Amino acid sequence: MSDHPVKKSVKEYFDYQGFGGKLLFTVALALVALGLAAWGGFQSPKQFAFSWLFAFAFFFTICAGSLFWILVHHAVDADWSVVVRRQLENVAWLFPVIALLFIPIVLNAPTLFKWMKIAPGVDPLLDGKAAYLNQPFFWFRAAFYLGFFSLAAFLLRRNSVRQDKDGDARYTWSSRKMVFGMIPLFALSLTFGAFDWLMGLDFHWFSTMWGVYIFAGSALSSMCVLVLLVTALRSAGYLEGVVSIEHYHIMGKLMLAFTVFWAYIGFSQYMLIWYANIPEETTYFLRRNTGSWNTLNIIMVIGHFFLPFVILLFQDTKKRPALLCTVAVWILLMHMLDMYIIVLPTYHKAGASLHWLDLVCLLAIGATLAAVFMKRLGDTPLWPLRDPRLARSINLRN
Amino acid sequence: MDRAGNPDSPLFGMAAEVPSASALYHAAEKVRDAGYTRWDVYSPFPIHGMDHAMGLKKSWLSALVFCGGLTGLTIAALLTFYPSTIEYPLIVAGKPVNFFTVPAFFPIMFELTVLLSAFTATFGMLALNGLPRWNHPIFNWNRFDRVSDDGFFLAIEATDPKFDEEATRAMLEGLGAKHITLVYED
Repeated sequence: MSDHPVKKSVKEYFDYQGFGGKLLFTVALALVALGLAAWGGFQSPKQFAFSWLFAFAFFFTICAGSLFWILVHHAVDADWSVVVRRQLENVAWLFPVIALLFIPIVLNAPTLFKWMKIAPGVDPLLDGKAAYLNQPFFWFRAAFYLGFFSLAAFLLRRNSVRQDKDGDARYTWSSRKMVFGMIPLFALSLTFGAFDWLMGLDFHWFSTMWGVYIFAGSALSSMCVLVLLVTALRSAGYLEGVVSIEHYHIMGKLMLAFTVFWAYIGFSQYMLIWYANIPEETTYFLRRNTGSWNTLNIIMVIGHFFLPFVILLFQDTKKRPALLCTVAVWILLMHMLDMYIIVLPTYHKAGASLHWLDLVCLLAIGATLAAVFMKRLGDTPLWPLRDPRLARSINLRN
Repeated sequence: MDRAGNPDSPLFGMAAEVPSASALYHAAEKVRDAGYTRWDVYSPFPIHGMDHAMGLKKSWLSALVFCGGLTGLTIAALLTFYPSTIEYPLIVAGKPVNFFTVPAFFPIMFELTVLLSAFTATFGMLALNGLPRWNHPIFNWNRFDRVSDDGFFLAIEATDPKFDEEATRAMLEGLGAKHITLVYED
């Protein structure tokens, strides 16, 4: 009810004192992993292409989900998310790096996307899709998605950071106006990005729910990352008196909601294809429901939905940061498995076989993004200092 | 002190008006701290955090809803599996008739779980609130009509163990409440 101004002693900026070692270690890790991945790329190019796409999809969806939460925050003029918005902005602002990390996919595109190597007139199904599946349009789209995501993240973050200085409400208005233009573009970019880069691995196969499925995983995994980031900052002594258990409660509720949403979309897609039983649609699930892929699929269904659903159902889980973080890490692992099951069966048709490049690519992209994130963390205050809704966000009650 | 209703009927409690939502919130905190247990606040709109200010514990409606949902799930599982795989198995579209028919049954399990959860939530909420009922004694007080417009009220029931006309009145006055009124049952 009353406005409690944030105490002056609260640390607004990230302090790098004693953090240099960790930053250096992450940079070194990123360089070593990138080097190893490049070496692996020459040793076994095909394996590298698929491993890299798998790792790329995992981190790409996390960044896209973070952008989604910022868009929603501005569109609905939310109160609660003000204090955690800066971290979402920091994650979404990794998109230019993501665009750079897309380069190995550009270089290996014909390995990944077989349709690029098929001449017109050979495959009637491909000819029917030629208006969409042709190289010039494909690369234009890829540039558009990555450019749009980067620009949207940049503009929204710039408004937010500028507001830290003078607290002018016009930045809030400006962001709100912008997001209404961005939301349709975001939906289209994520949907068609998912079509192009993941569904396009098998150009014969199609599912109209594919975009929503990838979106559901994006929103869920980015919320898990947010929980982990906020908890890491809190345990390092930041955000004290800014982020409270009430915020955890809301983040936990959103994790539960999107756990259910992911299962709902995933199952709907599966059931429609299972029920109709049309050969051109069932190819995707046939391979993934055979042998070791089937085992992994069953693990995913249980681990990505049933387990977190039951645990997150209880209010206690959402109000205990340690427990919520455990669930968040688990869901992120499951999201990783999800991406693995999407990408790798195209290469390892007979069954799952983990390759060291899978892990190295994950490490390479993950450490690169983490290093850039840590390097930039101190550039801006850890939460929007002068957002008009800051007091309401801090005093949040569920 | 003002009186509302028929003074020959049993006493319902003592009601008072406060000027604003924030005054009501702080009044509720003081009534809670004074140790009253049977009392309520009334406002034209929900006030965030009021359950905390009133010292209300977590509602156990969610536990009821969980049981309702579980009932729905069980009924749906029995309704689908028993007839379709045990009592009268029919092969439809080449699908198996055993546990692996489950994708066809999920929609039913899902819908029935949601349906019974929603029913339990709605009717359980009404039951826990003692609703529906024909009338409420506090409606005897004309001033209370403004609760759906701009009035903020609180009422301490006579059945509260701490209720005492003098002491309760003194406490309400101490909170800055106006129009302190004794409300009767009829």
